[in-house]
Amino acid sequence: MITYKKQPNTEEEIFRILHPIVKEWFVKKFGGFCLTQLYGVMEIHSRNNVLISATTGSGKTLTAFLAILNELIDSSEKEILENKIYCVYVSPLKSLNNDIYFNLVKPLEEMEKIAGKKFGIRIAVRTGDTSQSERAKMLKRAPHILITTPETLAIILSSIKFREHLKNVEWCIIDEIHALADNKRGVHLSLSLERLNHLSNYITRIGLSATCEPLEEIAKFLVGIGRSCKIVKVEIPKNMDFAVLTPVKNLVETNFVLMHNSFYKLLDQLIQSHKTTLIFTNTRSATERVVHYLKEKFPKIYSENIGAHHGSLSKELRLNLEKRMREGKLKAIVCSTSLELGIDIGYIDLVVQLGSPKSVARAVQRQGRAGHRLNDVIKGRIIVLDRDDLVECAVLQKDAVERKIDRIHIPQNCLDVLAQHIVGMAIDQVWEEKELFNLIRKSYCYRNLDIEDFNNVLSYLAGEHISLEDRHVYAKIWRKDGKIGRRGKLNRVIYMTNIGTIPDETLVKVKLNGQTIGTIDEAFLERLRRGDIFLLGGQTYKFLYSRGMVAHVSSSVDRPPTVPSWFSEMLPLNFDLAKDIGKFRRLVEEKLKLGKKKNEIVSFIKDYLHLKDSTALAIYDYINEQYSYCREIPSDKKIVIEHTQDENGEKVVVFHTLFGRRVNDCLSRAVAYAIGKTQHRDVELGINDNGFYITLNKNVDVVKAFKLLNSENLRKVMELAIEKSEILKRRFRHCAARSFMILRYYKGRKKRVGRQQLSSMLLLNAVKRISDDFPILKEARREVLEDVMDVENAKNILKGIEDGSIKVKEIFTKIPSPFALNLVMQGRADLMRIEERTDFLKRMHNYILAKIGLKK
Amino acid sequence: MKIAEGIEIVDLALYLEKEKALVMADFHIGMEESMIEDGIFIPKFQFPILCKKVENLLKKKRPKIVIINGDLKHEFGTISQQEWKEVLKILEIIQNNVEKVLLVKGNHDTILGPIAEKRNIEIVDYCLIGENLILHGHKEFKIKENYKRLIIAHEHPAVSLREGSKTEVFKCFLKGKYKGRELIVMPSFNFVTVGSDIMKEEILSPYLKKDLEDFYVYVVDQGKVYEFGKLKNLYYQKNLIM
Repeated sequence: MITYKKQPNTEEEIFRILHPIVKEWFVKKFGGFCLTQLYGVMEIHSRNNVLISATTGSGKTLTAFLAILNELIDSSEKEILENKIYCVYVSPLKSLNNDIYFNLVKPLEEMEKIAGKKFGIRIAVRTGDTSQSERAKMLKRAPHILITTPETLAIILSSIKFREHLKNVEWCIIDEIHALADNKRGVHLSLSLERLNHLSNYITRIGLSATCEPLEEIAKFLVGIGRSCKIVKVEIPKNMDFAVLTPVKNLVETNFVLMHNSFYKLLDQLIQSHKTTLIFTNTRSATERVVHYLKEKFPKIYSENIGAHHGSLSKELRLNLEKRMREGKLKAIVCSTSLELGIDIGYIDLVVQLGSPKSVARAVQRQGRAGHRLNDVIKGRIIVLDRDDLVECAVLQKDAVERKIDRIHIPQNCLDVLAQHIVGMAIDQVWEEKELFNLIRKSYCYRNLDIEDFNNVLSYLAGEHISLEDRHVYAKIWRKDGKIGRRGKLNRVIYMTNIGTIPDETLVKVKLNGQTIGTIDEAFLERLRRGDIFLLGGQTYKFLYSRGMVAHVSSSVDRPPTVPSWFSEMLPLNFDLAKDIGKFRRLVEEKLKLGKKKNEIVSFIKDYLHLKDSTALAIYDYINEQYSYCREIPSDKKIVIEHTQDENGEKVVVFHTLFGRRVNDCLSRAVAYAIGKTQHRDVELGINDNGFYITLNKNVDVVKAFKLLNSENLRKVMELAIEKSEILKRRFRHCAARSFMILRYYKGRKKRVGRQQLSSMLLLNAVKRISDDFPILKEARREVLEDVMDVENAKNILKGIEDGSIKVKEIFTKIPSPFALNLVMQGRADLMRIEERTDFLKRMHNYILAKIGLKK
Repeated sequence: MKIAEGIEIVDLALYLEKEKALVMADFHIGMEESMIEDGIFIPKFQFPILCKKVENLLKKKRPKIVIINGDLKHEFGTISQQEWKEVLKILEIIQNNVEKVLLVKGNHDTILGPIAEKRNIEIVDYCLIGENLILHGHKEFKIKENYKRLIIAHEHPAVSLREGSKTEVFKCFLKGKYKGRELIVMPSFNFVTVGSDIMKEEILSPYLKKDLEDFYVYVVDQGKVYEFGKLKNLYYQKNLIM
């Protein structure tokens, strides 16, 4: 049963359960309880599973630990403290772990001072960085509270000796659970929790999350199937000061140079009128660009006092930056997603987001980084550069203010993560397959796991796809008479050293004169060629050559980057938010249809979106332009298909489908596939969050192709459509690594062969030779369709068309309508790969020949 | 397709017409075992494909002599039973069809001695055939004899073709100059990897350290050859599309 806790406990009730020393300390330090504590502490004390959702700085962490510290001190006083782990705390960030450690040690010391003696309560951090000697110490004297990461938890679960300490864990805290639930790290953790549960008798699970949805599902994710959980949702009304800004009044008729200069002028003004500004961009490369241009445009103002923070910085650079941040030495910090989670970043009085954050939850989380103390004002600004972004961010801001939080997607039935855990579980003991299956299905992420998929994973792990004589090399487990177990000694080491879900090979080291200066994405390296210039850490570098997974560069040259930002980094618009934008458009269209006056509609927009006059007017103008031009406003209940042409006179069909890129990825590829199948040539298409377009040089009935799709056949069509895509190849490789088909560490050394040498395609083909339904291949397809794209919601859109709740209108225009312009101009161009490899080669061959011919 | 006077590209091999010699390079037998040692557990598939390709070439060209231009076997160190079997098998296929087999020593071939002896095959550092000097290409030799052209392997050259978000890598032959002489580089006769993308990866052979951009590219795919002109043409293409 998942229930919301509706009433907080009283202060007296909570004080009654506190040990006198804890009580004295608490009163001295805080006076009284904050709302989160009034809701949460008693539940944890009473050993009820609880999910606490509250904004940053609302006292979540202490809520989680107060009852536990209380109990430990009580046991210490009664001298019944055992040599075991009482509480396991898991967070996605190593840096967060150290913060937590100090935030626990300090109160304990203060309480020891009150008590006038030591409690002997041990707290320890254990991550991949923990030294051998520290680990040995923990083995001898178990920490009562263990602070760790999902990966390290999975390792200690299979450690022969250390797991003894895990046999009576009483609490498990999952911090920042929202940042885990929507990806494979979370799926991995959900199985670790079941394994922990299998070891211990009864564990109270405590989830801590920022504002996010759907809380019921996240609660189920936390506790697993058949267990109850109370949800504590605490909305602490903070003073919020949000606004959407544009660098210039007229977003349409401003040329690039003016826009560019005005943008940095505005950014500079914002930074200069505040003490410390935190700036979020949506991509790593944009982070680099912003720092680069601020320094270039205002060399006297910005030098050492601004910095770019993102996941691809080397550890030293990052730690140095974080230190300067906390010391208040930075005027502005520019980051992508790396500072969204709750590490202490010092005093921030303004959060600026450049471009749409694409999700309400993310926007709220980012803006929450300002004003870390309870009564501080949260000051956030979003700067937008085009009118689509303006409408999007205005609606986003409305939802943020009204606390209408969009939902995250929790991956299901990931067979690669499953394979990894089964190897780990086989190390621990011999399992009845049935028992194993039942335990796995307790995880929310595997509640619907198909027995056939489960069997296929076991079959893969047992090497049943390999001839008997070679099998011993491949097999990770043995499988006999309905039982499984560990095969060979090597597999324990394989498990321990290759655990995790973050694809390691996606990071390529960048070296300058032999020194590592950062990392770039593997996909980015694929685009680089000798001589290309790219940005890293605010500097430009020239790419020389790669060697395995290392890219060698020479230092900056006075030339602009030749390689643009990598589009796969782009955050997709959340589906719920997209629908809200669609709904807003629909409401405005209704008013336009009724012939309402301009000022009446502007005032509606102003009220509805809580906006200032000028912004509301700009939004009105945009929608009204579209309406005047073609009388159809695409919305949540209307898809508009626009037949038009681009600047070269090529025929373009634009689908106005405002459902976010994950859905549009599906719809567009499915349509392109249907067309390509009859044309035997790649179809060029462009996709963004608001729709997609298809370019044609022949007369093709695109609408007919679209109508061939329905909610029944979409998935099948999509499976065919992605078969030759780059994304499937890449994701397959990641899945192969997660399922231990490709190892990072083997036989005591890091892999020698640059994985680059081994093309993803050859890998994929090798597996297809075994079976088209090989579990790892099946998982790669699932990951692409369900996690990268959103085939389920795409299906729902088609269902909407089938039952008539979504209308489809066709329009014909000479030049693209206002809504189509952004898409046709900036939409990411992609190709639907119908074309065989050899046909592509032939076409490129002709192309080059023609060019050489021209050159002569 | 002709790549030079009297030299034809046949699939991934070269055929010297006058001398009736078929040159193949870089079989890298045992590469899959070595990959497993490196933690890549891909089911083995290469050997049957390799045998078939070689048989087809022999049938098609009916050469008198076959030259294997280095790295018949993959690993530097010991040889497994399986690899031993495979090396013997492929040599048997070749020997059954030609008068003479020559093994040019590659950097991986340090322990081929016993096998060659068993099969009565000559192993050389390089060989001069007609006007062509055939050598593996991992190191330079002082050559006294006269020759017009060098034929090397070792680099496993491949190029990547790019359009929009799509990139495909293809095996290729290269033709250029080395110290005034014509130089031909052969792709690997191996199906586990495409090879090394010379447009971005580190160049290994000492013969290719200069003027690589001016080398001519001959892509091979499914037995067909596509001439692409100079390597630098393929770089230019990027600017046109992006």
